[in-house]
Amino acid sequence: MNTRSTHEPIIRMQNIEKHFGSVIALAGVSIEVYPGECHCLLGDNGAGKSTFIKTMSGVHKPTNGEILFGGRPMNFESPRDAMDAGIATVHQHLAMIPLMSVSRNFFMGNEPVKKVLGFNLFDHDYANKITMEEMRKMGINLRGPDQAVGTLSGGERQTVAIARAVHFGAKVLILDEPTSALGVRQTANVLATIDKVRKQDIAVVFITHNVRHAMAVGDRFTVLNRGQTLGTAQRGQITPEELQDMMAGGQEMVALEGSLGGTV
Amino acid sequence: MVDTAQTDERIKEISPLRKALIRPELGGIVGTIAVFVLFLLFASDSGMFASQGVLNWSLVSAQFMIIAVGACLLMIAGEFDLSVGSMIGFAGMMVAVFGVVLGWPMWLTILTTFAICMAIGALNGWIVVKTGLPSFIVTLAFLFILRGFTIFIPQTIERKTIIGGIRDAAEGDWLAPIFGGKIGQPLFQWLGDIGVIDVFERGSRAGQPVVDGVPMLIVWAIALVIFGHILLTKTRFGNWIFASGGDAEAARNSGVPVNRVKILMFVFTAFCATVFATCQVMEFGSAGADRGLLKEFEAIIAVVIGGALLTGGYGSVLGAALGALIFGVVQQGLFFAGVESSLFRVFLGIILLAAVILNTYIRRIITGER
Amino acid sequence: MPSLSMRVEDSWEERMKSTLKALLMAAVVVAAPMMATSSASAEGEKYILVSHAPDSDTWWNTIKNGIALAGEQVGAEVEYRNPPTGDIADMARIIEQAAASSPDGIITTLADYDVLKGPITNAVDQGIDVIIMNTGTPDQAREVGALMYVGQPEYDAGFAAGLRAKGEGVTKFLCVNHAIQQPTVGERCRGYADGLGIDLGDAMMDSGTDPSEIKNKVLAYLSANQDVDGILTLGPVSADPTIAALKENGMAGSIHFGTFDLGEEIVKGIKDGTINWGIDQQPFLQAYLPVVILANWDRYGVLPGNNINSGPGFVTKDGLTKVEKFAGEYR
Repeated sequence: MNTRSTHEPIIRMQNIEKHFGSVIALAGVSIEVYPGECHCLLGDNGAGKSTFIKTMSGVHKPTNGEILFGGRPMNFESPRDAMDAGIATVHQHLAMIPLMSVSRNFFMGNEPVKKVLGFNLFDHDYANKITMEEMRKMGINLRGPDQAVGTLSGGERQTVAIARAVHFGAKVLILDEPTSALGVRQTANVLATIDKVRKQDIAVVFITHNVRHAMAVGDRFTVLNRGQTLGTAQRGQITPEELQDMMAGGQEMVALEGSLGGTV
Repeated sequence: MVDTAQTDERIKEISPLRKALIRPELGGIVGTIAVFVLFLLFASDSGMFASQGVLNWSLVSAQFMIIAVGACLLMIAGEFDLSVGSMIGFAGMMVAVFGVVLGWPMWLTILTTFAICMAIGALNGWIVVKTGLPSFIVTLAFLFILRGFTIFIPQTIERKTIIGGIRDAAEGDWLAPIFGGKIGQPLFQWLGDIGVIDVFERGSRAGQPVVDGVPMLIVWAIALVIFGHILLTKTRFGNWIFASGGDAEAARNSGVPVNRVKILMFVFTAFCATVFATCQVMEFGSAGADRGLLKEFEAIIAVVIGGALLTGGYGSVLGAALGALIFGVVQQGLFFAGVESSLFRVFLGIILLAAVILNTYIRRIITGER
Repeated sequence: MPSLSMRVEDSWEERMKSTLKALLMAAVVVAAPMMATSSASAEGEKYILVSHAPDSDTWWNTIKNGIALAGEQVGAEVEYRNPPTGDIADMARIIEQAAASSPDGIITTLADYDVLKGPITNAVDQGIDVIIMNTGTPDQAREVGALMYVGQPEYDAGFAAGLRAKGEGVTKFLCVNHAIQQPTVGERCRGYADGLGIDLGDAMMDSGTDPSEIKNKVLAYLSANQDVDGILTLGPVSADPTIAALKENGMAGSIHFGTFDLGEEIVKGIKDGTINWGIDQQPFLQAYLPVVILANWDRYGVLPGNNINSGPGFVTKDGLTKVEKFAGEYR
């Protein structure tokens, strides 16, 4: 699933720089993401992870550098553009509305309509049916489609958000710290979901600072530190300890260079 | 890891009856039943449930309903409008100024008033959305601004604070009866003739029934409740209203036009206030600077009794309508039951508290809030 | 999480039961004593007095005492009703409601003729006797089909006050109006100006009802308009803070000060010379007489042949003892 020779990358970001006034948040970051892979983006707090994913999802425009999407240069004017192109972001906290039902959340912003007496009404039957189906596919057994999201666990909420993005045609799925606030079992559920999504040939960008979570599902690993990439490693070419060290500051960088296989 | 969907033994199956019962409106339904039982026990022989008494509390409840529908949708969308009461006074005064002082035809007067008031509603919403200030503050400012104009304008041009003669000005107009008319007169005349309804004993209307039709105020209330309920539960836009109030940021992330939803809800609230005002001036024939005082709180109370969450994202138009009914029945019913009027607030406070406590439990079950 | 939902549901059932129980208990506890008091009348006639005054207006306490005393003396059941915020449209609903409860008589003010005409006429046509008190005019009372009018015609009272003030040397005045939304109250200012023979102009101040606001507005107005030599207040709500304002800026006693209505502070003011006179419309009579008149009309069919003017009576320093004793209660 990570055979780069047979695939074109879906997103290629080259030498991305982002400056906020005098602050350089990203100082030349490059990354390639392939369909069907889970690309883990690791970094400590303040490493520039969120600036980077915001650039990828169209919230920020890069100061310098190029984004190629499906081989063509891409200039997103707004998150909506990125969403329409198939780049979906699942935020850690800002994904679901707890007071609303699962099916209302699932179709939020994309509500299906049917004509009744000339009026466009929300097609609840269709929405409920699809929601139940998609949730079952992801391994979540709902009491009913009208169950409120607030009654779901944190992991289940992440799963609903992921299923929603997949259902609406995401080609690239950016997951912003989906496991950071979860318990062991729920984390396992989310990681299982990521695995299912990857198998549907969707590119997953998994942002985390937890090396163990990354190692569990990641195909490739990119470490961000102080606005720069320290390199991308294939699965099996790097140990958790090495990743941990890189995140911590790259003191071992010289020593690691060899093991990274010249991909820096 | 859960790969296949399997039943989780820890999720209790819920019986259909239970499921049907646990709804946002449950608090309102329980309250309505309790209130009617109470007054049937204590005030059944006071005329409260005779035709005239029924009309009286129906009218008061309908008034609350009209502004509660607007307040309910706005509150679910996550905002407040404290300028509703002042808007009622202002809209009534606009009708009087255009229709009586300036002598415009009544249909043009009404349409212009609606346009002005809805524009003010839009301005309210635009300021809230653009500045990010709490709507509480912005609309509080408009509470004063509109009330000030409502006193200033008639005082400046007519040197008084009440302008009458609206009924005469509306005579023969095609649009005015939509607000000030009554429907079903033949039916009520017949009911009067066969003795179901009391008839006037003397005066120019001797022989006519004391209740001679359903005022348009009640028709408007029912129509607005139905419209609001369908809009909220059965349309895309309704989903956006819930989403905007539940979590504006999450809604934006999903592509919901949150700002547009909120501004439109402010406009709708202004529309409801203007309907209230227009019906009132058509019925009573005059506009006064004191009209609508504190009505914004009465609307909010009705909405909260009806189960809506003050912080937005949750609520029901049917619940708000029941809240308005409870409020109206209690307010008028206490008079019928002969309760000292100053104790009305005590009773109201108890009902409000009980309703909110009950609603909180119901909501926790539905939404899993902790 | 699922375990949580179960826990909540189980306890919810109990909680709801107990909440419902509490609700019913509260309702019964609150309702029971009130029901008892309302059914304790002797002769059976029921009269309802509907006023336009908001809860904050303490002047109406005299009215409540007046009907209570009359009710006690003639053995009739009396009730006092008012719109809590002073909204006249709400008052119209109260009159409709009063009519629906089929009392023997309704005593009401006519604060806004346009609004109240319909409900009052309907009550009259339904066979309920109506007496207009306090606010309104004898003409309007006749129009709506009321038996009579008991009160003090506002404009006439203001005019009489103006004539008297003119004789006492007032040339330019300030009228402190705490009830700008009630046009009839403003008539007092207009009458006063006409009695003085000068134009009202901007002499009528919309003071609001908050005491410290009124006080500060009066202070500001007097320092901005040095040539004002007379003040008229329209009731205790505006008079009490005005007294405080004059004491603060040292004009108490030197500026001419007339006021409508009486109250404890006003009586004190008359006594110490701050206030030249108070116009007593004798509210007690406005409440007491209609109840007695209605009772006698219902029982023996007798009715005075004319409207009754309960005022104006000028109350000065002389003969204050009775007024002082009963101020705020029956005076």
